[in-house]
Amino acid sequence: MSLEQPAVDIGVTPEGELDYDELEALLDEHVLEREQHVNCEGFVIRPDEVETVLSTLKREAGFDHLSCLTAQQYQDRYESIYHLKKYDEPTHELAVIVPTTTEEPTSQSASSVYDTAIWHEREAYDLVGIDYEEHPDPRRILLPETWQGHPLSLDYNKKKPQIVPLREHANPMEKRTGVPGESDTMFINIGPHHPATHGVLHIKTVLDGEQVVDVDPDIGYLHRCEEQMCQQSTYRHQIMPYPDRWDYISAGILNEWAYARAAEEMAEIEVPEYAQVLRTMSAEMCRIAAHLLAVGTFALDIYGDFTAIFMYAITDREKVQNLLEDLTGQRLMFNYLRLGGTAWDLPEPREQYFEKVRDFCEYIPERLDEYHNLLTTNELFQMRVMDTGILPPEEAKSYGCTGPVARGSGVDMDLRRDDPYGYYEELDWDVITDDGCDNFSRALVRLNEMEQSARIIEQCVDILEEWPEDEREIQANVPRTLKPEPDKEVYSAVEAAKGELGIYMRSDGTAKPKRFKIRSPAFSNLQSLEVMAEGEYIPDMVAALGSLDIVLGEVDR
Amino acid sequence: MTLLPEQVSDLFGLEGTFGTFFGALVGATLISVIILANAALAGPWAKRKITAAFTDRIAINKLGPLGLGHILPDSVRLLSKEMIIPDGVDRPAWDIAPIIIVVSALLGFAVIPMGTILGVNLHLADPSVGLIFVFAVASIASVGLVMAGYSSNNKYSFLGGLRAVAQNLAYEIPLILTGISVVIFAGSLQMSEIVAAQSQTLVTIGALSIPAWFGLVNPFAFLLFLLANLAEVGRNPFDIPEAPTEIVAGFQTEYSSVYFVLVYLGEFVHIFLGGALIATIFLGGPAGPVLPGFIWFLIKIWAVFLFTQWCRSALPRVRIDQLISIGWKGMLILSIANLVLTAVIVGVLPT
Repeated sequence: MSLEQPAVDIGVTPEGELDYDELEALLDEHVLEREQHVNCEGFVIRPDEVETVLSTLKREAGFDHLSCLTAQQYQDRYESIYHLKKYDEPTHELAVIVPTTTEEPTSQSASSVYDTAIWHEREAYDLVGIDYEEHPDPRRILLPETWQGHPLSLDYNKKKPQIVPLREHANPMEKRTGVPGESDTMFINIGPHHPATHGVLHIKTVLDGEQVVDVDPDIGYLHRCEEQMCQQSTYRHQIMPYPDRWDYISAGILNEWAYARAAEEMAEIEVPEYAQVLRTMSAEMCRIAAHLLAVGTFALDIYGDFTAIFMYAITDREKVQNLLEDLTGQRLMFNYLRLGGTAWDLPEPREQYFEKVRDFCEYIPERLDEYHNLLTTNELFQMRVMDTGILPPEEAKSYGCTGPVARGSGVDMDLRRDDPYGYYEELDWDVITDDGCDNFSRALVRLNEMEQSARIIEQCVDILEEWPEDEREIQANVPRTLKPEPDKEVYSAVEAAKGELGIYMRSDGTAKPKRFKIRSPAFSNLQSLEVMAEGEYIPDMVAALGSLDIVLGEVDR
Repeated sequence: MTLLPEQVSDLFGLEGTFGTFFGALVGATLISVIILANAALAGPWAKRKITAAFTDRIAINKLGPLGLGHILPDSVRLLSKEMIIPDGVDRPAWDIAPIIIVVSALLGFAVIPMGTILGVNLHLADPSVGLIFVFAVASIASVGLVMAGYSSNNKYSFLGGLRAVAQNLAYEIPLILTGISVVIFAGSLQMSEIVAAQSQTLVTIGALSIPAWFGLVNPFAFLLFLLANLAEVGRNPFDIPEAPTEIVAGFQTEYSSVYFVLVYLGEFVHIFLGGALIATIFLGGPAGPVLPGFIWFLIKIWAVFLFTQWCRSALPRVRIDQLISIGWKGMLILSIANLVLTAVIVGVLPT
């Protein structure tokens, strides 16, 4: 705690609850109106006072985490919703709603308060069409620069195909600034096809010799209109398969849970305890699988070839996938959760399955010793990754980093503990943090988190084994067609493999959401690459990218 | 011992200039075939098998015993691929570079004594400056690398070429200095002399007599040489010039089909040349009990190859600045210290 920050923020009652009246008093006449969302209240403010309001909230009330920015168009207005949270207390949520007119959708940019707003506002401009004044980099982000129209705005012509030829992007240097003109620099395109980019990521890089002067990640190659697809699907059945495709590196159930949690909070569905245990267990299996791949590919980036550590990680990941396959019937696209529960109970015979899971939980710590031998205690490896790709905690917060990336920078936040859901509260496990702030700490956090996940799974197995046979309820009563009341808005997040995966939904009384917004952790994390990479050598930039553990399916959605 | 060219010309009963020329040609062809059979045919196969063993895999096993049959379709596949010549490559330089890389490595074998098998002495030439010759021709590869990198008109190749030169400069000097410490022991630059100097007995333990291999006499120099050689052939932890996850494939990014085969082959031959050099100056050359000398020589080369593959599977790659500082600040000083130490020991101790 620095001295500048008061011990208790303004707007918090002595009991630790958020006091919206006090916050309103703090903001004085800036608050035009108050709205009620499912998890929090929303303050409506004027579009030219965004910076003042947000900086006041950040400075005085301790809202240091701009979790998400949702933009949407109503019949009569545009709206940007800034979902604010606190890293110390993620349950303290506040939505700042900025309406703008349809004729002139111009709003002040929040990028001077939160760095993460730069990319989020670019996305809002790209997909919905709101202009942000004083934005440092007002370009499209997911779609090509030459795209006509904004796909999520109401007047967009979805029928008209648009083809973007390569020559439209002949000069990728044109609009970049911040590159010193006089020095001998070299521009190089890393990706979209490059061994180190883990998918179709394109990093426009400026090099000075071997050193990175400027990086500009160009994303959107894997943009599949996931938000729009979800908006065209029904809550009850059709949306659930999509989350598996966001972070497709076997973190499927974690993603499904993000949607399930948001939808269940919106429709006020109580999930049976037994199903929560099942969810917790399967989600942690997914986390192990995802972290194994993350560590494996990170090692691959450092070692440079398909070396032992990568193959070991893949071998172990197969073992988790076997368990998940037994449970869900799938190895990658699980589609296991349902609103109000899960799709199946444990496979029969249960004892056999418990034994398999227990064996795995015993096996993983042994293997982790091996990984520590090969990676963290390897001096060459330490030489490569320690003190490189530094992400200071303040920067991590400002860039909205979450998950292992934030925890590797010493930011002690884990939604499983801080904003409990599922069965985590009842279990005994630790949140792993590391103060190193470098590439090494991020890898170390992942390795140690796997051990904790194994602990959680083991406890879940114990609980499931004791569960009385006639109380094994895997599914709550949910209407066949789910139609939440109109104009209900919910923003809710879970701790996915890469960090805080949030879903914003607004209902309009039909069986489909009117607006479905995904807050992808990898998207926010990737933005901090600039902080980590600039001034470093190319290999360290590659290592930093590997330590971020991005999945392009989740970045681009 | 008579050298291979003379043996050949004697066999055919030829004399004079033509005899020398003919003998040299046939001898060189024979040596090349042996080296290429090892480096080009067995090398890639062994690499796949060894890497697989290190990483818990099975690797090729469908064709023939142990997947040996894969060598043939592999080579057909590589050679029959489409040759893509990118726009704007600097044509003669781009074409010559792969050839230089292979030839420079192959030339080194001319002076390596590979031992005898079936009464044939596999040793092409034995000039009085043998060791210097090997270092000299092996260094020409750097020219090939920078040519390949510069002429490819690709920024990744360019970076790779520059890295290759920086690396070779930094590690060539420790390599040669360490080699010279062996020369001080042997008192000669001639390969046959160096091998002969190692045939004495160092110590005798019971019935077992340990030969005075320079690797045993001066293990410090041996380790230094082994390390510098890893950097020289560009294998982990020093595979900076290629660095697949950083600069795609470095200087060889734009090469395809036959040219790729040549570059790839050049690397393998280089590893084998490094192995041959280590075997010759540190491991007693073709010396060894029971088996013919040539077999021993092959075993030693393959042991070095196994070592490079082991490092490749187990060690992370160092960063370019770390590589350079290890080279200039660590290896160079250690190798000079080793040289001085060796000189003092040889000067002070009675023979």
